[in-house]
Amino acid sequence: MAFLDNSGDIILDAVLTDTGRRKMANGTFRIKSFALGDDEIDYSLYNKNHPSGSAYYDLEILQTPIFEATTQTHAGINYGLMQTTATDLLYLPTFHVNALREQQNRGAVTGSNGMYYVTDASNDITTATIGDILTKRTAGAIKYMQGTTAATNYVLMESGLATGWDAVPVGSEANRTSYLIANDLVESGVYVFYDNRFFEGVMGLGSMAKFAAMGSSDSIELGGMVEGNTQTISTGLDNYSTMAVGAIANKVYRSASPNTERLWSVISGPRANAFVISPIIKSGLDAEYARYGTLNHTIVASDGSHTTRYIDTTIYVQGVLTPGTLQIPIRIIRRG
Amino acid sequence: MTITAFELFDTDTDITTTRTLLHESIPLTGSIVSGTYGAWLSEGNIKNYSHGMFQSVYDYPYLSSSANHIFDIAVGYDESSALSGSSNRVQQAKKINMYNQFSQVLLGYTGSNNTVRKFELDLSLDNSGSFPTTVPLITGSTVCTDGVFINFTRLITKDQIKMGTFSITVGYGAWAQSFGTAGQRVLSDSKTTTSSGSAETLGGDYGVLYDTGSTPHGVVFYESGIVLLSGSAFKSSSAPSSIASQFFRHPTLGFQTYEQAITGSSISGSCDAVRHRIRNISFNNNTEINSTIYFCRVPHNKYNHSSNPTYLSSSTIRVKNVASDQPIAYITTIGLYGHESGQLLAIAKLSEPLRKDPTNELTLRVRLDY
Repeated sequence: MAFLDNSGDIILDAVLTDTGRRKMANGTFRIKSFALGDDEIDYSLYNKNHPSGSAYYDLEILQTPIFEATTQTHAGINYGLMQTTATDLLYLPTFHVNALREQQNRGAVTGSNGMYYVTDASNDITTATIGDILTKRTAGAIKYMQGTTAATNYVLMESGLATGWDAVPVGSEANRTSYLIANDLVESGVYVFYDNRFFEGVMGLGSMAKFAAMGSSDSIELGGMVEGNTQTISTGLDNYSTMAVGAIANKVYRSASPNTERLWSVISGPRANAFVISPIIKSGLDAEYARYGTLNHTIVASDGSHTTRYIDTTIYVQGVLTPGTLQIPIRIIRRG
Repeated sequence: MTITAFELFDTDTDITTTRTLLHESIPLTGSIVSGTYGAWLSEGNIKNYSHGMFQSVYDYPYLSSSANHIFDIAVGYDESSALSGSSNRVQQAKKINMYNQFSQVLLGYTGSNNTVRKFELDLSLDNSGSFPTTVPLITGSTVCTDGVFINFTRLITKDQIKMGTFSITVGYGAWAQSFGTAGQRVLSDSKTTTSSGSAETLGGDYGVLYDTGSTPHGVVFYESGIVLLSGSAFKSSSAPSSIASQFFRHPTLGFQTYEQAITGSSISGSCDAVRHRIRNISFNNNTEINSTIYFCRVPHNKYNHSSNPTYLSSSTIRVKNVASDQPIAYITTIGLYGHESGQLLAIAKLSEPLRKDPTNELTLRVRLDY
């Protein structure tokens, strides 16, 4: 994937993707829409303080070399330009994992060494379940998701404007309304992309879920998860499927005294949504551990050493309306 | 990650098709045909087959994966030719087969007996040739019942040879000095244009190859990429018989005339002789490109924000100081999608980022060639 020659006129280098060629072969090739991307651009190069003036703010960006087009679908557009017609937006929401202690007590899990663990109980025995092994780990207990539809643990995420604690705009209800709701930046759900070789779906929040707190009162109900809705949209990644899971209103608000927002939320400004994921492992994973994972991984626990096997994969979360994205590294782990 | 912001094409106004003809100039020097990749008769770029029906010429020793097949050479004659006979004929059946194969594909069958048509060195396939009497023909026939066939590969002819561009220089001098001012002739289809000077047959359009004196010595089939050279191309009425007898130097039999070579040598031997007498070949090819053009109209009020993670710093749009500043985004990529579920069918990259803000409206023209 070389760079395109940018020394002369602007040219367009176009290729059919592998999907396009396949559709050409079976007679279903028909282009109906387009989208725009800017994956190569690093907007941090935009220098609003350039000494030569505004004409030079984007000098570095405009000199960015562009890769030639490739036929790989997933190498196409990862971050598209948005259709929003508002011109007075100064802020856009971002996604963050909420690993606060208050949430951990409610079943959210914390990444261990950057990985979020999902247990596969298919090889458990009465005296040693994979959950016990992780809990009794001498180097520190590892919290985990149970990998079933009956799971009670999850990864909790929030979206909102992380503009800085005590910075303007603060996380008040009024600012949520004016900065987020008024600009259609509040989601009703998020897309979750998962490897369908290992997962059969993803659990998310149900309609009764709540995520609200202000001052000394809170109303947080994140249990009772339901399976997400299968989506037909394509990620471009091989073996990945898509589900949409619910995103509820994030009503953690800043208040005068006591201001408890930092106990509940990792978003420092106005908050848009809260949502969770808890992947459902496919039954019968066995050969996959040898093919895609690691065998004979020893975990030393308080009751002795245990051999485990695991598969590392990634779940991608993306907003439906907003540009927020998150990559959640997942380790599926099984005893034996 | 997937894209959810699609702009639908209006099939009436945003999509159109076009057709373009591309031309390449193809110069083939005689040194590639003979002598560059080893001594004559043992060149690494010449491939002979055990069946002996034709000979292939490559641009590099053919055992190398870098070699490209350029053209094949074969010789043949019709069974009605005076060259056809019952004795002292080497590979006669194969030579007749070759002539008939080219004839049936390029000209087809005719007559109550449904026999293959004969090649003629004019544009009217009326079984009455127009050979000038000054050119010593093999058979004295009114049609060309024998000759050398050169069929070029699709790699270099692409869709077809461009009319009016074909030229081949062949030598008719003595064996040791085949070319030279007095011993070579340039044959070209200079009388053929895209609108005149050609005739259409089953094998497509063909034109006549004339020397500089307007004497025909062959025909070129443009779509098929096949050239037929009459034996007259390698002869001269003014040359002494000592030269005419040196068309080919057979490794064991010595010098042979054209007639002797065609009848008394194998096809590959005659092809070796022809290669020795090709000085150069040049033509232009045609490639027809059918294109669909998609006009991607980017309105002024959309696509001014990005979901690129670097677009935000602490949730704040980097290109703005205050909310009233104009949003700016930079386009590098255009994805063409099959439908709203995000199936990326084609992708186009700009050679440099294009600034997009609410004050401009862009139309990006993406052309897909087939």
